[in-house]
Amino acid sequence: MYGFEAISQNNGWAIAVTGACIVFSGLATLSLIISQLHKLVALLDRPPKVIVDVDVEEEPQAPPRPECPMALEPTVARYLPLIEELEPEFNLADLYALAKRYHLPHPHLSIRCLQDAGKLQPLGDGIFRYSDNSSDKENS
Amino acid sequence: MDLVLQFLANTGFGLADYRNLIMIVVGSFFVYLAIAKKYEPLLLLPIGFGVILGNIPFFKGFGIGIYEANSVLHYLYFGVTSGVYPSIIFLGLGAMTDFSFLLANPKLMLLGAAAQMGIFFTYLAALALGFSPHEASSVAIIGGADGPTSIFLTAKLAPHLIGPVAIAAYSYMALIPIIQPPIMKLLVSKKEMLIRMPDLRQVSRRELVIFPVVGMVLCTFLAPAAIPLLGPFFFGNIMKESGVVDRLANTARTAIIDTATILVGLTVGASTQGDVFLNPKSVGIFLLGAVAFSIATASGLLFAKFMNLFLKEKINPLLGAAGVSAVPGSAREVHMMGQKADPTNFLLMHAMACNSSGVIGSAVCAGILWSFLMG
Repeated sequence: MYGFEAISQNNGWAIAVTGACIVFSGLATLSLIISQLHKLVALLDRPPKVIVDVDVEEEPQAPPRPECPMALEPTVARYLPLIEELEPEFNLADLYALAKRYHLPHPHLSIRCLQDAGKLQPLGDGIFRYSDNSSDKENS
Repeated sequence: MDLVLQFLANTGFGLADYRNLIMIVVGSFFVYLAIAKKYEPLLLLPIGFGVILGNIPFFKGFGIGIYEANSVLHYLYFGVTSGVYPSIIFLGLGAMTDFSFLLANPKLMLLGAAAQMGIFFTYLAALALGFSPHEASSVAIIGGADGPTSIFLTAKLAPHLIGPVAIAAYSYMALIPIIQPPIMKLLVSKKEMLIRMPDLRQVSRRELVIFPVVGMVLCTFLAPAAIPLLGPFFFGNIMKESGVVDRLANTARTAIIDTATILVGLTVGASTQGDVFLNPKSVGIFLLGAVAFSIATASGLLFAKFMNLFLKEKINPLLGAAGVSAVPGSAREVHMMGQKADPTNFLLMHAMACNSSGVIGSAVCAGILWSFLMG
C-alpha cells in the first residue's frame, strides 16, 4: 500500500499532527517556564522583611578596680606609723618598700585603698602626702 | 596444491562479494572525509573504519561477524541494539551543554520545536512510500539530526534498520556544511541575515541548577518514553551546573562520552555488512533522511520568519536552521552564514541556544513516536 491510502490506513495523519502539537506545546511550556525562572529566583533571593536588631557595641569599660580587701580604718591605723617614719611628702615607692619590709599583708592593694579613699594626696611626680581631711568627706 | 587452493578459497579474497567491496569503498570515503576534509572526524572516522571492518569477508558460523551470536563485535553491538550507548552519550552531552544562552533568551526554544516538524513530515512521506509505521518513525527521526536519538528509536522500533538509519543520521550530521547553506540562502533574504541579536543577560547559577530539574520533570511527564535519553541528559547537566561533583561531570563529558562514541561509531559502521545493508530500503532511507533533514532546516527557518511577524525585536531567521539538534555543527554553520553577510554579526551563542533546544525536542519526539507505536 502506498500514498495517501497508506498514510490513512496507518493512522499517519493523526500521529503526525498530534505528535507535532505535543512537541510544540511541550517546548513552548518549557520556554514559558524558563522565561519566568529568573523572576522566581529573584523572589527567592529577596531578603526577608524583618527588623534586624543591630547590636551596638558598648564602650569598653575599664575593669572594676579591686575593692579594698580590708576595712579602711585598720589599714589607716596600720599604715600611719609607716607614713610617719617617712618625710611629710614622700615617694609612694618608699611607702611600698617600707610596707614590704614590715611584712604587711597586700601592700599594693592597701596603698591603692588609701589612695582611693583620699588618704594619700598626690602632689605630682610620684610624690604624695598624707591627708586626714578627705577621710571625713569619704565617710560622709 | 589443493591445500593452497582451499586456503585461498577461505581467505577474504576468495569470499569477497561485490557488495562488500562497494561498502569498503564507502567506508574508505568516510575515512577520507574525516581525515582529509575534517568533516565531523569524531563520528566519521570510527564509522568509516567500522564500515571497512564490517565488510571484511569471513567464514560465517564461526562467531566472527557482528550479526553472529557470541562474537566480540556482537557483544559490543549490544550497546547499540539495547539503546545503552545513546543513553551514555546523552549523559556526556548533558555534562557538556551550557543552557545559559537558552535561559537568557527562552523564545529561541520555539525554533528547536519548529525544526522537529521535519520528523513528522518525513514520517508521512515514509508511510506513503510503503514503509511500515515502525520503520517510518525510525527513518523520520533522522530529521532530528541526532545520531544517538536515531539509534535509540530505531533499536526500539525497527532494529533491522539500525545500520542504514545510523549511517544516514551521522552522515547528514557530517554533511551539514553542504546541506544547510543552500536552504538558508533560498529562504532567508540578505536583509534578514543582517539582523543582529541583542546582548544576552547574565544568567544566575541558581537558574542553571533549577533548569535541569524543571526541564526533566516537564519533558518526561510529557513523554515518559524519552526517560532513557532525557534522564541522563539532564543528570549530566545538573552535575555540571551544580559544581559540587566536578570530577564526575568531567568524566562524563570526556572519558565516558568518548568511550561510547568510539564503540557506537565502530559497531554501527561494522553493522553495514554489504549483504545486509545494500538493498533498496537502505537507498530509500538515505533519500528520506536527506528529505527529513532538509525539511527540518526549512521548518526552523520559516518559523523564525513567522515569529518575526509578531515580535517587536526581530530575531535573525538563520537561527532557525540551528533548531536541528546537530550540536554544534548547525550552530557553527549558522554563525558562519551570518558572518558572511556581516563579519561583525556574532550569532554563535544564540544558535547554540537553538541547538540545545533541538536536542531536547528531538528526544521528546523520539519518546512520543515510541509511545504511539509501542502498543
